[in-house]
Amino acid sequence: MTIKQLLSCVMIPVLFAIPGPIIAGTNMPEGIIKLDGRKAPELKLDDLDGNSYDLAQSRGKWVFVHFWAAWCGPCRREMPTVQTLAEQLTGSPIEIRLVNTAENDDVVFSFLGVVAPEMPTLMDRDGLVTERWQPRGLPASFFVSPAGTLEYIALGGRQWDKPEFLNFVKQLIKNKTVRHSN
Amino acid sequence: MNKILSWQNAVKALLGFVISVYSCNVCSAEQENRYKIENQFVKFGLSARTPEQMAAFYEARGFPKQAIEAATQHCFITVGIRNISKHKIWLDLNRWRIFNEQGAVARTNREQWKQKWQQLNVPLASQATFNWTLLPESRDLHPDEPVGGNITLTPTDMPFTVEAVFATGDDQQGQPFVVKIENVRCLKDGEIKS
Repeated sequence: MTIKQLLSCVMIPVLFAIPGPIIAGTNMPEGIIKLDGRKAPELKLDDLDGNSYDLAQSRGKWVFVHFWAAWCGPCRREMPTVQTLAEQLTGSPIEIRLVNTAENDDVVFSFLGVVAPEMPTLMDRDGLVTERWQPRGLPASFFVSPAGTLEYIALGGRQWDKPEFLNFVKQLIKNKTVRHSN
Repeated sequence: MNKILSWQNAVKALLGFVISVYSCNVCSAEQENRYKIENQFVKFGLSARTPEQMAAFYEARGFPKQAIEAATQHCFITVGIRNISKHKIWLDLNRWRIFNEQGAVARTNREQWKQKWQQLNVPLASQATFNWTLLPESRDLHPDEPVGGNITLTPTDMPFTVEAVFATGDDQQGQPFVVKIENVRCLKDGEIKS
């Protein structure tokens, strides 16, 4: 056996044993899809306490915009996991913004008080902001980039307290993007 | 040899068509007027609602009386769909056939509801909520994506068939498939069985 042959017998298995770079497509959890990067629609709403919020003031940070309604079963199941996500990301450069679609204060207050008591929400009282964002259904979660563009959306309700989703969000914040397959 | 190959191709195409059009690996009626179907493309569920159920739902959401009255004059069928394939599928209610022995059962679509609400001066919030409770008129569904909502029909006393046609493929040019459910009925108040 020549030295070259011997080296190839050793090196090839070694090369395969070394973890390679992250392969495209392995970092996107199921149910998250890439959007076309168009500018996020306007979002200017008040919360339950009457405090105003404008998405434009969040430039420079990722924003998780989550549309929901109390009558929506998947919203009820998902909301506690959104609260867990928010708790895990305290201090991170990402904002979690809930938007209630077309319900009144009493309904929202009663619902959140039971399901996710630590979560404030913006109130889209006539449903027009939700209409402008055209979510694929309720619940809907958009990831808005620090530049104010729509980058990812979650399909239906997701369990945000699961490691794959938490890791996805952390990677987003760290790398400003996530590798994904086409 | 070419003739044999073309025969084989024809048989394969025919089988593929039959399977894709009428595939139904699991069909079950859990209870009267609740159906679940699963094939290689979708999990598909369908439930009829009584007028009382719909009135209670919308009244709890603060709908005005005239809106509730208008809604309860319709037959509500709640549909749930999940794409369990690895490819995109397409929902388009205009391609669905809903019919009985007397012919087509009319469906009130989203645009028609909008006009009705405007005539009745229904508040925007109620209009928004109602829209979000309807099944979308047309949508793509990514793998593992669910969608649900109501379709609203002109009430009929006769049982009817729902043939839900779905396109497949990114460009909607793949082989379509159909989910077919027979003997669906509009429910009247008091007809729900536990």
